[in-house]
Amino acid sequence: MKKTFKLSLIATLCSTLWLTGCGDAKTTINEKESEQPATDHDHDHGSGGDITIDSLGRLAISAPDSDQISVFDLDDSELVGQFSTTYAGSRITASAGYRYLVITNRENGHTGFIDGGLWREDHVAHLHDYEQAPATIDFHIDSSQPTHVVKHEGLMAIFNDGNADTSTNASVNLLTDENITAAKTDSEVITFDMNMHGVAEPRGDFILTTVRRDDATSTSSAKILPDQVAVYHKHGDEYEQDVIFDTTCPNLHGAAQSENFVAFGCGDGVFLAKDDGHDFDVSKIANLDNFDTRRVGSLYGHHSHNALIGVASARGTTPLLVTVDATKGAMSAIDWQPQTDAAPVSYGFSVDGDVFVILDNQGYLTLLKSHLHNGETEWEFASRVDFTQQDVSTMPDGQSFSLVMSQHADTAYISDPIANTIVAVDLADGDVTTALSLDFTPANISWLGIKNEEEHAH
Amino acid sequence: MNIPAKHTSIKHRATKHKAINHVLTKVSLLIGLMFSTGSMAQTVSGTIIDNQGNKISGAKVRILDSKQQVTTNKNGDFHFANAPDKSLELHITASGYAHINQHIALNDGANVAISLARSAIEVIDVKATPFHASVMEASIPVSVLSGEKLRQQQASTLGDTLEKQVGVHTNFHAGVASTPIIRGLSGPRVMITQNGLDVSDVSRVGPDHSVATEASTATQIEVLRGPATLFFGSGAIGGVVNVVDERVPTNNTPFGEFILEKNSVNNQKLAAFNVKNGTDSFAFYADGFWRESDDYRIPEPPKSAASNEHHNKVENSAEESNSLTLGASYLFDQGYVGLSAGKLKREYGIPGHTHGEEETHEDEHDHGEEAEQQVFADLEQNRYQLIGEYNFDDSLFSAVNFKASYTDYKHAEIEAGAVGTTFTNDTTELKVDLLHHPIMNWRGGISFHAKDTDVEAIGSEAFTPPSTQKMIALAMMQERHFDDVLVQFGARIERVTLDAKNVRLPHLEAHGHDETGEMETHDHGHEEETSELTRVFSVEQTFTPVTASLGVVWDFTEGYNVGASVSRSQRAPSASELLSFGPHIGTRSYEVGALFALNDHNEVTLNNQAIDLETANNIDISFRKTQGDVAVIVNAFYNQVDNYYYQVATGLFGSDGHDHHGHDHGGHSAGELPVYIFKSQDATLHGFEAQINWNINDEFSSSFFADYVRARLKNGGDLPRTPPLRFGTNFRYQLESFSAHLDITRYQEQDKVANLETSTSGYTLVDLGVSYQLPLLDHDITFYATAKNLTDEYAKVHSSFVKDIAPRQGRSLAVGLRAYF
Repeated sequence: MKKTFKLSLIATLCSTLWLTGCGDAKTTINEKESEQPATDHDHDHGSGGDITIDSLGRLAISAPDSDQISVFDLDDSELVGQFSTTYAGSRITASAGYRYLVITNRENGHTGFIDGGLWREDHVAHLHDYEQAPATIDFHIDSSQPTHVVKHEGLMAIFNDGNADTSTNASVNLLTDENITAAKTDSEVITFDMNMHGVAEPRGDFILTTVRRDDATSTSSAKILPDQVAVYHKHGDEYEQDVIFDTTCPNLHGAAQSENFVAFGCGDGVFLAKDDGHDFDVSKIANLDNFDTRRVGSLYGHHSHNALIGVASARGTTPLLVTVDATKGAMSAIDWQPQTDAAPVSYGFSVDGDVFVILDNQGYLTLLKSHLHNGETEWEFASRVDFTQQDVSTMPDGQSFSLVMSQHADTAYISDPIANTIVAVDLADGDVTTALSLDFTPANISWLGIKNEEEHAH
Repeated sequence: MNIPAKHTSIKHRATKHKAINHVLTKVSLLIGLMFSTGSMAQTVSGTIIDNQGNKISGAKVRILDSKQQVTTNKNGDFHFANAPDKSLELHITASGYAHINQHIALNDGANVAISLARSAIEVIDVKATPFHASVMEASIPVSVLSGEKLRQQQASTLGDTLEKQVGVHTNFHAGVASTPIIRGLSGPRVMITQNGLDVSDVSRVGPDHSVATEASTATQIEVLRGPATLFFGSGAIGGVVNVVDERVPTNNTPFGEFILEKNSVNNQKLAAFNVKNGTDSFAFYADGFWRESDDYRIPEPPKSAASNEHHNKVENSAEESNSLTLGASYLFDQGYVGLSAGKLKREYGIPGHTHGEEETHEDEHDHGEEAEQQVFADLEQNRYQLIGEYNFDDSLFSAVNFKASYTDYKHAEIEAGAVGTTFTNDTTELKVDLLHHPIMNWRGGISFHAKDTDVEAIGSEAFTPPSTQKMIALAMMQERHFDDVLVQFGARIERVTLDAKNVRLPHLEAHGHDETGEMETHDHGHEEETSELTRVFSVEQTFTPVTASLGVVWDFTEGYNVGASVSRSQRAPSASELLSFGPHIGTRSYEVGALFALNDHNEVTLNNQAIDLETANNIDISFRKTQGDVAVIVNAFYNQVDNYYYQVATGLFGSDGHDHHGHDHGGHSAGELPVYIFKSQDATLHGFEAQINWNINDEFSSSFFADYVRARLKNGGDLPRTPPLRFGTNFRYQLESFSAHLDITRYQEQDKVANLETSTSGYTLVDLGVSYQLPLLDHDITFYATAKNLTDEYAKVHSSFVKDIAPRQGRSLAVGLRAYF
């Protein structure tokens, strides 16, 4: 039997080969649709033949206590991929280039990725956009308690808190989208000699990171929180510590970057490191008098300006928002005119950095814009959008609205776990549209796609 | 005829011949089991002696068409208790002697005496072909580098390792990447294989891409000069280099080798090992190496205007690599089957491959910035091989050999700390040789070969679009002895499909320069936006290359033979030769594939001409003196290639695809590369190789060699980077525990150059080595010291793409230890 099969296989092969004719060469060329010339405004590079895709992008949506991630195409509101994450209840965010969904699971020390399928490659001679179906990738990172994921200008730093119980020290993984594509295995660039609940801010060839000291020396009252900031500088392939600043930042939590500054939230104020190209000058802005027990524990910044926003909070109090004018070294309170009982649940800058939005638990999106006041930049209430018709008291237990900012258009996407929808809020005119109707309850959302480079060039 | 009087019934053919004792492909056990095995047996025994009647121990005696092999004891005796019950052919090999084939009639196999003749050239069988072949016996020219010679000549790159082999040159790429040039051919015309299976990297498309294999853990490296498409297909039209190791062990003989070495010229440190052991039925293998080197020293700073270097080092020529390979086999009476897995990692600088700010002023940068502008490659390869052999005793077929591999290759070129371009190659390959018992005294078999290759380049140097190549082939080869004449012939038919879904034809803003280096037209920057569309094509190509070859070796008198081989080989052009469109920094050119052509208005459009196969018509003639204290091998070849694919300079310039900051220099602007387009035209290559070895006495030996190739286009013009005439000599002094060797090699000037190519001066290299076997118990531990380029000669390699910025290493001293267990 087998012998016959073998012989017939060979016979088939022979006849197949000979049918085509010996020494033949045949070329079939089918012309496809030509690529449109790009509207590339980057005159530094430029050259003909950009291939660009104009897409609203995609939304990755998680479900509560589930391992399911659904990816929707925003251009035609269609489900384009559904994936199971390794662990349920993971946190999601986009990678630094918005190509990948980054799925961190603190408890299990796991960071996984989903390829969103929409990305841009700068072939230098031209830009080349790609559109493919989203896909899981094998690449993942095992580390101890990955928690804060910070992105800046194409770089993503994952801060792994480590674990005192297992004597695992904190560390930082640094990845670009290209590193994820290439499954870079040695992305851990900094390891500390202690665990800490810290954060790392990548900035060009620098990484500014938190430093925890011996409990005896540390000025933090919660010892797991660091109280110093260090600069690491890239030398060849490795990051080496340049300096640890003497200026302390007790109970450090929260960090952000602006055009020229890296800011950290401290128990006693906001720590600022000014980037002068080669090194950093540090300063500190003290807390405002009306903070009471509050301290700035979250910071938001945008690379187009130096007016950061801080959220000062403390257990049992309502948070206060402040403008941190890094250039002037001044802090000022923001009156965002909240509705009754409104508590912020999420914040974000628009893609161009002109608008800061506050999502609250009463179903409103508050838009702030910046103004100059006696030479200081201040963020002020601009408008408010009522984005849901639902009765917010029917919010399922443990759920909340969640927010993500499009990097393609001046749009905020908000998940509504009451209506099981995703609404799109046009930040220019306040229009609210239903972007997606879901057959499940959305938990968190992330935007993936090709960032509109035009937006921030304004 | 040397017929021992006492054994007149034995027909003694004291000639070398090819048989099919080595089979390189693997066995499917299932297929094997369907053939019955014979139960009848006879005893064959005897003694191996030399011409003076001295007994030769350690000679290997193998029964052809079976797996049975024994080694002679200290009295030179051998014994087969269970030889197949029929007339037999024995193949006997011993170090320092010419190989021999001995016919034994049925039941005439008791106390056979076989005498071997001395050979001044070490004869080692090639494992790359299903035919038995060696330097003295094959109709096609082959050579093998193994043992101590291999260890003396091993370098961190394959081309440099093999460059002292006759007929083989290196395209020397600053010691970090090099590929062998066989008879003036390289790239997509020379196939590199590991244990007969494609090495599967991207070294065929760029001189700065390292070959993903390693010499320090190899047991032998074989070179087939001239067309070998019969065995390997399209990529082997110019020859094959096969790197052999025992990663899938074929026997359980315990073996261990350890090497430690340090070299002064680049502070290179090397540690390597390979070990094998086994039980009755299982054999296990492991090898590994670790190597690290800094930038290498040269006699003086490069003299060329193309280089900015001001010190005696080639910057960014450091390398760091390591690998680990594990393998295991199941051994049984009829053969073996085994698996191996290996991982290779290599990081190396790419000199002359700076991106971004191409020229930096000294006052504008510190060392940190400088380091960031250097480009280096980070290569990783996982290779899995499954190899087996199954021998049948009684059936039409005598053996089936089976080989399969999966290789996953990736290399990233890192520019300024970020990945600039990532190259990947995923290859799956299968080779099955089915060998039959002699039919009317013809030995031979058929070979089935299939290979799938996915190649992709992503990033700024993605000059070739992603493509998938699939190949299936069927080959047949036969050989027969007619008295003193061995006749071999073979044919292969192949089907190659090449699919690329998105072949892009951008509007190339190419332009010429006038004599002052100004751009002819364009008052705007040459990278200015254009409003032209980029045309996109899906391209499917099907090729059916056919190879036929005929070879004859005639032992016209005892100890001499002449051989002739005629072949017609076809090759499907490679993806990069056809589909390229973009800047290729490794070759410092803007490459455009043969699918495109330049029209009268200096615009690149689709090529209207048909894409044809490349066809090589090759004649090879060899003369050999195989026995005695003087051995001679002379090969001459004439290779007429129709539709030879090569690159033509267009005189136009295109963008190099990188961001530049000003600076015009030389005749063109920084950030521009000359546009080369692939065309095909008939070419002729001819030349010779000669080798004479003379064993002056037991201690002294000497050799002389020379090689030459002339490569030109039929319609006039020379092919670029053709190695010059080379000749050299080697003296060797060998005592029981001490040896010394002196190599002197002369490279003549090369002034037969292609359009826009410069000529290269000649130079002489002198190498000296000594080794001493340490008197340490029973262990075989050798200390060695090798000095290369003793005269500190400034040597530019004509066949190198970077000859002007990266000459050969200056004087170097390497010391090391080698231990065998």
